[in-house]
Amino acid sequence: MKSGREDKADVLQGTLILLVLRTLEALGPLHGYGLARRIEQISKDLLQLNQGTLYPALLRMEQEGWIASKWGASEKNRRARFYSITAAGRRRLARETEDWKRRSAIVERFLVLSPGTPAGGGG
Amino acid sequence: MSRAKAAAARIRGLFRRGRLERDLEEEVRFHLEMQAEDNVRVGMSTEEARRAAMRSFGAVEPMKEAYRERMTFALLETAARDARYAVRTLRRSPGFLAAAGTVLALAIGANTAIFSVLNAVLLRPLPYRSPEQLVLLWTEAPDRNQRQGRTAYWNVEQWLGQSRSFADMAVFDPASVSLTGAGEAEKIGVARVSPNLFALLGVQPLLGRAFTEEEAEQRQRVALISHRFWQTRFGGSRTALGSAVELDGAVSRIVGVLPPGFQMPDEDVWEPHTLSPDWERRRGLRGPGSWFVVGRLRPGVRVEQAQAEMTAVAGRLEELLPLSARNLGVSVTPLNLHVVGARSRLALWALAGAVFCVLLIAAANVASLSVARGVSRAREIAVRAALGGSRARIAGQLITEGLILTALAGLCGTWLAVAALPLIRVLGPAGLPRLNEASLDGRVLSWALAVSLLVGLAIGIAPAVTLLRRSLRPAIESGGRGATGGAAAHALRRVLVVGECALALMLAAGAGLLVRSWWRLGKVDPGFRPEGVLCLQVSTPASMTAAQRVNYHDRVVEQVEALPGVERAGIVSNLVITNSPEQAVTAEDGGAGGSLRLRSDEAGEGFFQAIGARLLRGRFFSALDGHGAPKVAIVNEAMARRLWPGRDPLGRRFKLGVRDSASPWLAVIGVVGNMRRQGLENEPVAQMFEPLAQNPPRLATLVVRTPAEDPLRIAGAVQAAVRQVEKHAAVYGVETLEQRMGAFLSERRFQTGLLIGFSVVALLMAAVGIYGLVQYSVAARTREIGIRMAVGAQGREIFRMVLGEGLKLSLAGLGLGVVGALWLGRAGSSLLFGVQAWDPLTLTAVSALLAGVAAAACCLPARRAMKLEPVAALREE
Repeated sequence: MKSGREDKADVLQGTLILLVLRTLEALGPLHGYGLARRIEQISKDLLQLNQGTLYPALLRMEQEGWIASKWGASEKNRRARFYSITAAGRRRLARETEDWKRRSAIVERFLVLSPGTPAGGGG
Repeated sequence: MSRAKAAAARIRGLFRRGRLERDLEEEVRFHLEMQAEDNVRVGMSTEEARRAAMRSFGAVEPMKEAYRERMTFALLETAARDARYAVRTLRRSPGFLAAAGTVLALAIGANTAIFSVLNAVLLRPLPYRSPEQLVLLWTEAPDRNQRQGRTAYWNVEQWLGQSRSFADMAVFDPASVSLTGAGEAEKIGVARVSPNLFALLGVQPLLGRAFTEEEAEQRQRVALISHRFWQTRFGGSRTALGSAVELDGAVSRIVGVLPPGFQMPDEDVWEPHTLSPDWERRRGLRGPGSWFVVGRLRPGVRVEQAQAEMTAVAGRLEELLPLSARNLGVSVTPLNLHVVGARSRLALWALAGAVFCVLLIAAANVASLSVARGVSRAREIAVRAALGGSRARIAGQLITEGLILTALAGLCGTWLAVAALPLIRVLGPAGLPRLNEASLDGRVLSWALAVSLLVGLAIGIAPAVTLLRRSLRPAIESGGRGATGGAAAHALRRVLVVGECALALMLAAGAGLLVRSWWRLGKVDPGFRPEGVLCLQVSTPASMTAAQRVNYHDRVVEQVEALPGVERAGIVSNLVITNSPEQAVTAEDGGAGGSLRLRSDEAGEGFFQAIGARLLRGRFFSALDGHGAPKVAIVNEAMARRLWPGRDPLGRRFKLGVRDSASPWLAVIGVVGNMRRQGLENEPVAQMFEPLAQNPPRLATLVVRTPAEDPLRIAGAVQAAVRQVEKHAAVYGVETLEQRMGAFLSERRFQTGLLIGFSVVALLMAAVGIYGLVQYSVAARTREIGIRMAVGAQGREIFRMVLGEGLKLSLAGLGLGVVGALWLGRAGSSLLFGVQAWDPLTLTAVSALLAGVAAAACCLPARRAMKLEPVAALREE
């Protein structure tokens, strides 16, 4: 049962916001389950999303005004809550994206660090 | 911005909780169903699909918990829920609630009450404008070992003129005068003050005005009266303004009434300082004098700066002073330090500390109880943990329980304090200034609240720590009974018990030392026999001549002595004394003169016999020592030793003042034993007496000795006899001598009584703590004890084992307590009399007492352990 777990990453707190906002921006309004599935699919099932944790995160994002929600009909005509990104959410996404890029760039520098690299050499 | 938005959303959430919860419920259901359907589509069975969906979703309840915390204000929500749960839990164990609640309510109540006294007497600012700027200035005479002497008027003028630290300085001098005029004469307190005093203090007359500089300069007879005097004499009527008061036969016009807050202990009338009878002489004095000086510092000037400046000023004044008054300093001290004496301050802090110790012990006891409860509740808590309650949430729950318990106790305790305050105001030492202002104000209430909160936190955290330190899981498996699981809890309870014992010992040692002091005071020989003696104040109109007064005194004594049940009567100018001024004394033939603290009074014929003084040499006064007879004096032993060490003082002559002063030579006709007329606690000072008939004072004390058990029984007859002599003479202040001497001890009695009470409570609570712990440990070790007995242990050994456990703890506490008591005793040694802080007898006695109490507390559970049936014990669990 637990096979393959080691290869899957837990979603970092904070990254989840980026993932959700980006998914909603790219794919338009989605309900919670759809959102969870898309995130897993896009990550090619490498991301171990504890689906339940999505909902408190969604609530928080809605409270912050980054997403909006509305009850509507699902593809199978069942009542579901659809989330969509707001203008504030897009601004937030831009910031999160930039943040992420900067952070990964920093980590990247450490990964290329070889024993011979002079400290503080500035590349 | 976004934080505010989120907060707003949460506030909305508060009101839409139900809908939000339902929405979440539906979303989760939808999610799980969708997932299950997808799972079926990839080939799972329905049941398998449902379970897989649940698995990938994760735990639902913690998620919901997290969601709810986000939904509104987590703390608020959880607190409300925890509170409801805590109330339910507490109601389910009424025994615990009652025991813990009562103990805490009493402890918090006692703390609040004592703190309100402390607050009123020491902390609350004086009722003057910017009281922190007010200081007293004293003349310091290092030569005579005098730190705080009064000052001459001339010096005060120089001080103010030559310094820049002070905005103003005022002088005052309290005196006692006779209120004459209508009805019987009566003694009242009058303060002669410079007219700027009221402005300096920031006190506005309630009615009328203060007197002016001009009125003072012209020595006009104007007066301000106290609110108290206004109420009792004039019924609070406005007609008081402009009315007359006759003081010592001179009429003054009332120009103002002072507000009720401005009440010096004895003063009822204030008049210009220039109205002092000997103003002309006082005006000319330089150096030490008769005035108290109060100053107001300029804003921003600190007391130390003012002190430094005044020391320099005193240096500059030096050469302007007469030779006899050189080498003087000035000392500047904050006014608030003078309102309450250093010893009273220390005593109050000590009492507050003691009652706080009682609270700590109470808290330790309740904490220990709730730790024990926590262990028995381990199962309930483990279930909560299994259901997804985080450790923080469970700890929060336990702390909430503690807080609710102390909130209840705090309310009851505060109510108790309110009820006790009038009692304290009445029973408290009369001499403690501002005690009657003790009340519940914001500061006292905050203190009660803070204390309750702290105790509540402690009581909640104690079980939380022990429960959460170990894994929560085993408890559920062992059914929550295993004594093993309570190891941490047991350790904590042992620490608490050790602490309780240490605190209780410290309190008991303090009380023991005070009791020893009291006992030593009882052994002090006052130098006279106070039992069976009645004292009355007698005063004569100022219009009487000296001869009339002598005649009056003679007839009063004669009349009183004629009464049945009176053994002897005599008159003295002052019986009980509060001060003994520094005086220059010259012995005629080569005796050791110089400056000494000397108390000089006038005594009538029967006085020494009536009070029961011891005659060491010579004779008492007699009818021979009347007006015109040779000037003679009786001195006490201390004075005889000081002036003529190793020689017979009889017949030798001395005078007050320097050799060439105008005062007459006095021949010593008798030496009496030292009398402690200034309270038992004070070493007797040098005292001398002159014959009453040679200088009869207006106010005097009549001393009557009776063989009756209760001298007050003849009080009425004595008063009547005095009035018969002269109906305009005032007779008042009837007291037994024992009562009078006892008044010196009222504060000590209050302190000792309270501390005894506190330490008894502390000992009892420590005993309960030990009992609870040992009892619990016996219960937890029932099986072990059963095994021991089964393999042949005797009941006695079991008894000793259990007893040993309790005693070991109390001995540890005892050791710590003795160290603490020694340390504290040093700090509080000025409260003791005739006993050292490390008094081995006291420390041994209280240690033995504590050990005895601890042993008694262990005995019950130990006996129960001894009587266990091995088979039954083994069957337990």
